[in-house]
Amino acid sequence: MSGVVLNKVVKRYGDIDVVHGIDLHVAEQEFVVLVGPSGCGKSTTLRMIAGLEEISDGTIDIAGREVNEVAPKDRDVAMVFQNYALYPHLDVAENIAFGLRIRRVPKVEIERSVNEVAGILGLTSYLDRKPADLSGGQRQRVAMGRAIVRNPKVFLFDEPLSNLDAQLRTQMRAEIKRLHARLGVTSVYVTHDQVEAMTLADRIVVMSEGRIEQIGTPMELFMNPANRFVASFIGSPPMNQLGATLANEAEGPVATLDDGARIVLPRFEGSADSEGRRVVVGIRPEDVLLEGTDTSDSVPIDVDLIEPLGSEALIHAKVGEHPFVIKTETYGDIAHLSELRKIRINRERVKVFDEEDGRSLFSSVGD
Amino acid sequence: MTNMNLYSRGDKLFVIANMVLIGMFAISTLYPFIYIAALSLSSGFEARAGKVLLTPVSFTIEAYQYVLSDPQFWISYKNTFIYTIGGTLMSLLLIIPGAYALSRPQLFGRRFWNLTVAFTMWFNAGLIPFFLNMRDLGLLDSYFGIIIGFAVNGFNIILLRNFFESVPQSFEEAARMDGANEFQVLWKVYIPLSKPAIATIALFCIVSRWNGFFWAMVLLQDEDKIPLQVFLRHTISNLSDDQEFGATLFNAAYSFETVSAAIIVCSIIPVLIVYPLMQKYFEKGILLGGVKE
Amino acid sequence: MSSLTRTQRIWKHLRREWQLYVMLLPTIVWLVVFLYKPMYGLQVAFKDYSIFRGVAASPWIGFEHFETLFGNDQFIRALRNTVIISFYSLLIGFPVPILLALMFNEVLNQTFKKSAQTIVYLPHFISSVIIAGIVITAFSPSAGVVNTVIGWFGLEPIYFLTKPEWFRPIFIGTGIWQEAGFQSIVYLAAIAGVSPTLYESAVIDGASRWQMMWKVTIPSIMTTIIIMLIIRIGNVLEVSFEMIILLYQPATYETADVVNTFIYRQGIQAGQYDFAAAAGLFNAVVAFVLVMTANSLSKRYSRTSLW
Ligand SMILES: Nc1ncnc2c1ncn2[C@@H]1O[C@H](COP(=O)(O)OP(=O)(O)OP(=O)(O)O)[C@@H](O)[C@H]1O
Ligand SMILES: [Mg+2]
Repeated sequence: MSGVVLNKVVKRYGDIDVVHGIDLHVAEQEFVVLVGPSGCGKSTTLRMIAGLEEISDGTIDIAGREVNEVAPKDRDVAMVFQNYALYPHLDVAENIAFGLRIRRVPKVEIERSVNEVAGILGLTSYLDRKPADLSGGQRQRVAMGRAIVRNPKVFLFDEPLSNLDAQLRTQMRAEIKRLHARLGVTSVYVTHDQVEAMTLADRIVVMSEGRIEQIGTPMELFMNPANRFVASFIGSPPMNQLGATLANEAEGPVATLDDGARIVLPRFEGSADSEGRRVVVGIRPEDVLLEGTDTSDSVPIDVDLIEPLGSEALIHAKVGEHPFVIKTETYGDIAHLSELRKIRINRERVKVFDEEDGRSLFSSVGD
Repeated sequence: MTNMNLYSRGDKLFVIANMVLIGMFAISTLYPFIYIAALSLSSGFEARAGKVLLTPVSFTIEAYQYVLSDPQFWISYKNTFIYTIGGTLMSLLLIIPGAYALSRPQLFGRRFWNLTVAFTMWFNAGLIPFFLNMRDLGLLDSYFGIIIGFAVNGFNIILLRNFFESVPQSFEEAARMDGANEFQVLWKVYIPLSKPAIATIALFCIVSRWNGFFWAMVLLQDEDKIPLQVFLRHTISNLSDDQEFGATLFNAAYSFETVSAAIIVCSIIPVLIVYPLMQKYFEKGILLGGVKE
Repeated sequence: MSSLTRTQRIWKHLRREWQLYVMLLPTIVWLVVFLYKPMYGLQVAFKDYSIFRGVAASPWIGFEHFETLFGNDQFIRALRNTVIISFYSLLIGFPVPILLALMFNEVLNQTFKKSAQTIVYLPHFISSVIIAGIVITAFSPSAGVVNTVIGWFGLEPIYFLTKPEWFRPIFIGTGIWQEAGFQSIVYLAAIAGVSPTLYESAVIDGASRWQMMWKVTIPSIMTTIIIMLIIRIGNVLEVSFEMIILLYQPATYETADVVNTFIYRQGIQAGQYDFAAAAGLFNAVVAFVLVMTANSLSKRYSRTSLW
C-alpha cells in the first residue's frame, strides 16, 4: 500500500490561500497528472507532498502514514525538478549516487544500483561525464536516474519536460510512460501541457486557482468535462463555446444559438423543465460535419482562414459574431474549404453548460 | 574590427597615441618597483649618493644579508604567515555558513538579520571604541585577537550571500530530498558550486591579512608577535628618523635606503607569486561586488 | 492544525530548520561582540571615562567633550584637512580610472592590453607600508631618485616629506598611482557590457574611433560613472588615514592631519579615549548620513542599490 492521500490540504501564504482544501486519493502504482494554468497551485501541491512546503491545514498520508511532520528525506519520495538540479561539479554517476552516498549505502551496492539505473535509462556510456557535457534529453534522464536509484515509494515530477524542445519532449514522454509501466511506482506529475497529461495519466486532476475542477481518466475528461473550464482546458484546439437558449420541442431539447441556428440535443436529466434556460453549448472542433448540410439543423458560418496541418486542417470561422474553430481531415485537399457556408454539428457529442456557474448539465459526469 | 588597414589615418594616429599613453602609465606604475629592486642590490655608498636610477650600481647583496640575518625579520615573517592563514581560515569558517543561512528564504527574520549585517557597513563605531573593546576582551598582544578580531566584514558576507542566492533553490531542495541535512547541502552542493566566489573572498582575505598594518601596530606591542608590515615600518622609521644612527651603523656596503629596499622586496615577493592566480578572480570578484540587497 | 499559536509555529519551524540558525549564530555573535558592542561603547564620548571604572561605570558628563572638540584648533584643522584632501582626491582622482578604462578599450593588441592591465592593477595589492616605504625612499633628500632628477636641473634638493606644501600633492598622487588602475576595472566591465551592434552601426555611419568614444562609449557608461561618483562622495570622509600615518610627521601636521589621524593620536597614543571617541562619533554620524544619502541617490539611478 503506497498510495498518496490528500485530505483537505490547504496552503496559505500569509493571509492568502493559494491551495483551498484539496482532496485527492492517488492509488498505489497509479500515475496521476496535475494540470492547470500557470499559478493555479500545482507545484505548491506537489511540493507539499514532497515536504518542501509546510502544509498549512489538512493532512497528507503517504503509504498509510501521515507525513505532515515528516522531513522530506524521511518520506521516501523522490522528485524530478523542472531544471533537473543536477550538481554541475559531480559527474553522472556521482549525481545518480548522491542520495545513496548521503544515506551511507555501502559502496558496492551504490555501484550496482547506479549501473542498473544507467542501464535502464541508456546512460551507461555517459557515466563519467559532467552535466554540462550532456544534451538536454540526457540531462533529463540523469535527473530521472537520480530519482529511480533510491527506489522510492512515490515519484514526484514538476514539469520535467518543459525545458526540452518539442521533439525531445514527445520522445521523453514515451520514455516516462514505459518506465512507469516497468517500475510501477506511484507517481504524481505536474504539467501545464494538456497533451502530456492526456498521454501519461491514469487519471488527470484539473486545477484552477487552488481548487480541483475535475478528476478523471483522460477520456472521461475529454468526453464529459464537468464544467466549461475543464472543457476548454482539455482538448486542442479548445472546445468552441456558444451562448444559447434551451427549449423543449417534440424532437427533444433544442438549443437555439444566439445567432439563430438550432441544435437538437440528446435528452438529459432535467431537460424536461429547462424551457428558456440560458446555457453555453460546447462543440469540439472535431465534432463538426461538413457534408449533408442541407438540413434544418445546419449552422451557417463565414470562413476566415484555413490552416493546413498536413493530414488535417483547421478552419477558423465565425458563427454570427463568435469565432468558431473546425478541425477536419483533408489530406491537403483544402481548396474547397473556403467555399464552406454551412456545417452540421454531431449532436451526440455536444456539451451543454449552465451559463451562470459553468457546470455541465449532463449529469452522468462525476465531479 | 581588428584589421588596421580598415582604419582612416586619423584613427591610426589616435590608436597609436593611445598606446603610447598607456605604455607610459604602465611604465610609471612599474618604475618605482624597479627602482626599489635596483636600490636593494646597490652598494650603500652609491645609493646614498643618489646614483641609483634604474639598475643596480656596484652590485651587492649585502643589504639582503643584513636583512636575512636579523632574527626579528624571520619572526615577523612567520607571524605574517600565521595571521594570513589563520585569519583567512577563520574568515571562511564564519562567513560561509553565515552567508548561506542569510541566503535561505526560509530563514525566519531574514530581513532583520541581513540588516544586522548591512548596518555594520554603514555605521562604524570607530577606532577608539573598537580598541577599548579589544582591550576589555583581553585581546591585546594576542595572536588570537588579530585572527578573530578582523575575521568578518559585511561586504564579504553580502557578496557571498548574493552568490548563494543566485544558485537555483532547487539545488537545495534536490539535495534535501536526497536526504542531505543543511550542513551537507552546504558542504556537498553549495560550496562546490560557489568555488569562484569563495576563492575571490579567500583572496581578498589573504591580501588584506598580508598587508594589514594599522591594527597590528596598535594592538601588538610584543616584538615576538608583530607581523612583517609592522617590522618593516619600525625598521624604515627607525632608520630614517635617526640619521646619526644610520650614519654610524651603515658602512659603504649598505645604507638605510638599500636595507629598506631589501625588506620591501622580501615582503613583495609572496604577493607577486600569488598575483597571477588572483588576477583570474579579482576582476570577477569586483563585479560580484556590485552588491545589492 | 490551523489553530497553532505563533509560539507553536516558531517551535515547529525551529525543529525543522534549526541547522540554519546554528550556521548563522557564529556570524551574528561575531558582529555583536566586535562591531555592535563597540557601538555601545561609544557612550564614552559622553562620559568622563576612566580605565579603572570601565565604560559602564564612568560618570556621565553630557556634551562636554564635544564642546571641547569644537573649541580645539587641531580638530578644526583636521576637519578642514579631511575635506580638502578628499575634495582634491575626488577632483583629480575620480576621472583618471575612467580615462584609463576608455584608453584600454581603444587598445587593439590584446597582449599589450593584458600586460598593461596586469601592471596597473598591481599597486592595489601592495601594502600601504610598502608604498609609503617606496615614497619615503624615492623622495629622500640625499639618495632619492626625485631629488637626483631635480639635481640635474641644478636645483637644491627638497626634503619633500617635511614640507607642508608638498604633503597633499604627494599623498594624492600616491593614491592615484596605487588605485587608479584597479578602479578602472569597474568601467571596463561597463564598457564590455555595451552592445557591439552600437559600434557596428556607428562604423557604418562612418564614425571615427574618437567619435565613437564620445558618442557611444561614454554615454553608455554614464550610469556607472554617476553611481561611482555618488559612492565616492558618500565615502568622502574615508581618507586612507593609514597612509597618512605612514607619511606625515609633526612638521606636516598642518596640511596632513585628518580626523582619523587626530583620533589616533589623541586616543590611542595620548590615552584621551573619551575625547577621541567623541571625535570618532562625530565622524561616524556624518559618514553614516553621507553614505545613506548616497545609497538612496544611487537607488534612484539604478534599479540595484549598492548594498
Ligand atoms: N512564497 C510564496 N509566497 C506567496 N505566494 C506564493 C509563494 N509561492 C507561490 N505563491 C503563489 O501560489 C500560487 C501557486 O503557485 P504554484 O507555483 O503552485 O503555481 P503552478 O501551478 O505551479 O504554476 P506554474 O505552471 O507557473 O509553475 C501562485 O499564485 C503563486 O503566486
Ligand atoms: Mg510550477
